[in-house]
Amino acid sequence: MIDASTSKWTEADRLKALRATGILDTDREPAFDDIVELAASLCETPVAVVNLIDAERQWFKAEVGLGVRETPLETSFCRHALLEADRLVVPDAREDARFACNPLVTAEGGFRFYAGVLLKSGDGAPLGTLCVLDVVPRPEGLTPVQLRALEVMANQVMTLLDLRRGLARERAGNARFDALADSMPQMVWSTRADGFHDYFNARWHEFTGTTPGSTDGAGWSDLFHPEDRERAWEVWRESLATGEPYEIEYRLRRHDGLYRWTLGRATAIRDDEGEIVRWFGTCTDIDDLKQIERGKELVSQELSHRIKNIFAVVSALVALSARQHPEAKAFSQSLRTRINALARAHEFVRPHTEISAPSVGTMTLHAFLEAMFRPYTGVQGAPRVLLSGDDAVFDDQAATSVALLFHEMATNAAKYGALSEPDGWVTLETRKADDRFILVWREHGGPPVTGQPTRVGFGTTLSTLSVEGQLGGRLERLWLAEGLVVKADLPATALSRRRAALKTA
Amino acid sequence: MSARILIIEDEALVAMELKFALLDLGYQVVGLAADAPTALDLVRESEVDLALVDIHLSDGPTGIELGRELGQERGITVLFMTANPGMVRDGVAGAVGVLPKPTDDYAIQSAVEYALQRRKGEPTLYAPPELQVFN
Repeated sequence: MIDASTSKWTEADRLKALRATGILDTDREPAFDDIVELAASLCETPVAVVNLIDAERQWFKAEVGLGVRETPLETSFCRHALLEADRLVVPDAREDARFACNPLVTAEGGFRFYAGVLLKSGDGAPLGTLCVLDVVPRPEGLTPVQLRALEVMANQVMTLLDLRRGLARERAGNARFDALADSMPQMVWSTRADGFHDYFNARWHEFTGTTPGSTDGAGWSDLFHPEDRERAWEVWRESLATGEPYEIEYRLRRHDGLYRWTLGRATAIRDDEGEIVRWFGTCTDIDDLKQIERGKELVSQELSHRIKNIFAVVSALVALSARQHPEAKAFSQSLRTRINALARAHEFVRPHTEISAPSVGTMTLHAFLEAMFRPYTGVQGAPRVLLSGDDAVFDDQAATSVALLFHEMATNAAKYGALSEPDGWVTLETRKADDRFILVWREHGGPPVTGQPTRVGFGTTLSTLSVEGQLGGRLERLWLAEGLVVKADLPATALSRRRAALKTA
Repeated sequence: MSARILIIEDEALVAMELKFALLDLGYQVVGLAADAPTALDLVRESEVDLALVDIHLSDGPTGIELGRELGQERGITVLFMTANPGMVRDGVAGAVGVLPKPTDDYAIQSAVEYALQRRKGEPTLYAPPELQVFN
């Protein structure tokens, strides 16, 4: 690096800065030619040069009056100028020790007058000069106006060099973007801030069979499945209006005319002020994934059907076995109702996919509990277990526990509690409280409660096991005089452990 | 005369238990069919008042179409009994409703009684709670 404060530079720094301009050995350019022409006419000299001092030569980006693009360094005026702070003016070279023996001076009609202004890099390293030469001496040198003009033009040369470099860098950047975008398996597109499509990568044209340019503007929309077009426009317009990321699944026509399910996404690129300057988007062919999803869906449906059927077979097997043993009838009946409760819970279990969900209706805790308590409706057909509070979804891991818990509570209430009286009823409140899910079962209008029963039935053991063992919660029973109150306090994640695990993953 | 009931069910154990339960309740069981063609043969051969129809049979999920045909074209009262009641959630023309499986003897009794009352055009105040009645 060059120390800009002292303008200390080494020849190595200077050459590095020169090479970085990328100007050496480039073709003539009108912008530079104009400058030397203007310099020559302003300074009234036959020769003007944009001269860059390389390691072994001086190279002219532009010149008038010389007719060559480079000359050896030995005869250079400008290399002496580089040692000056800003400029070098030689009124008569014959009288200057540095140039008196220079062949360019001693030759017939050689140069007498030289004035050069340094071309300096941003770091202050001199790269060359903008100079004018004449074959007659000029004792008075340049006028202040001419000198000032030369300085301004030298600055313009440097500005041109910087712009040139910026442009080259941008072109390289674009080439890199094109190479990257074209090598991606996804289709890539970009739009102006107003949503006008002006870029598609090679993959887009390859997939759709369109030619570059033909899908610019709003032409892309013709490639969408007619049923998806309006929806896609709606989502896109919404994103354009709000600047929110765009994401949608639609069917895109492939070159062979087949529509393939495609995931479209886009995000806005913003400037320093937060204004959207462009949108960049991708399209990903997800048709194969969709097929696999559909296959999985079928397998999962089939599996679900079979599981539920197995409950029916087991239940029938229990009943058939008990027919041989009349003394086991009560036992078999209570076992069957428990199996039936399990089966019912599995009917309401998540996860079902989007496709199967509509075929089974609402699958929530409340929907399941309503179905489960349906046998306990009153003579008027009105429910006797009243549900209130927050609903929830539950998965197959929680199904067994949830089913057994409420099956035992309901059968118990029907035998000994509120549901054993024609006018008795139960309220069941479910409530989400931070990271807990709390269910409160409250019996009303049953036979008076005289205190905690002395014998613990198997049903009670099952309930406790379900809540405290399986669901990781606490089960509390209060034998209040007006009726039993049971409070199950569960971790909020207990009902859908898999979903909770997915969320934290 | 007690009602004549046809059981259309591909799980032999479930069919047998259902048959015993119906016999206990005093009904006649005209036959057991594990698939749609057998069921149609049976209704051609014998008089049937009520068919209890599973949806998944040994020839596939043919129960829905079979139930529609029995109900609409053959004048048989149809009650679906399936472990997957969601499949007929929107109802099937010509059928009374669906009873989810597994179920218990009491639910079978009240659902069958309800269906037969409807067949006879007798007034029914309330449907049994376990039975999902089609509109």
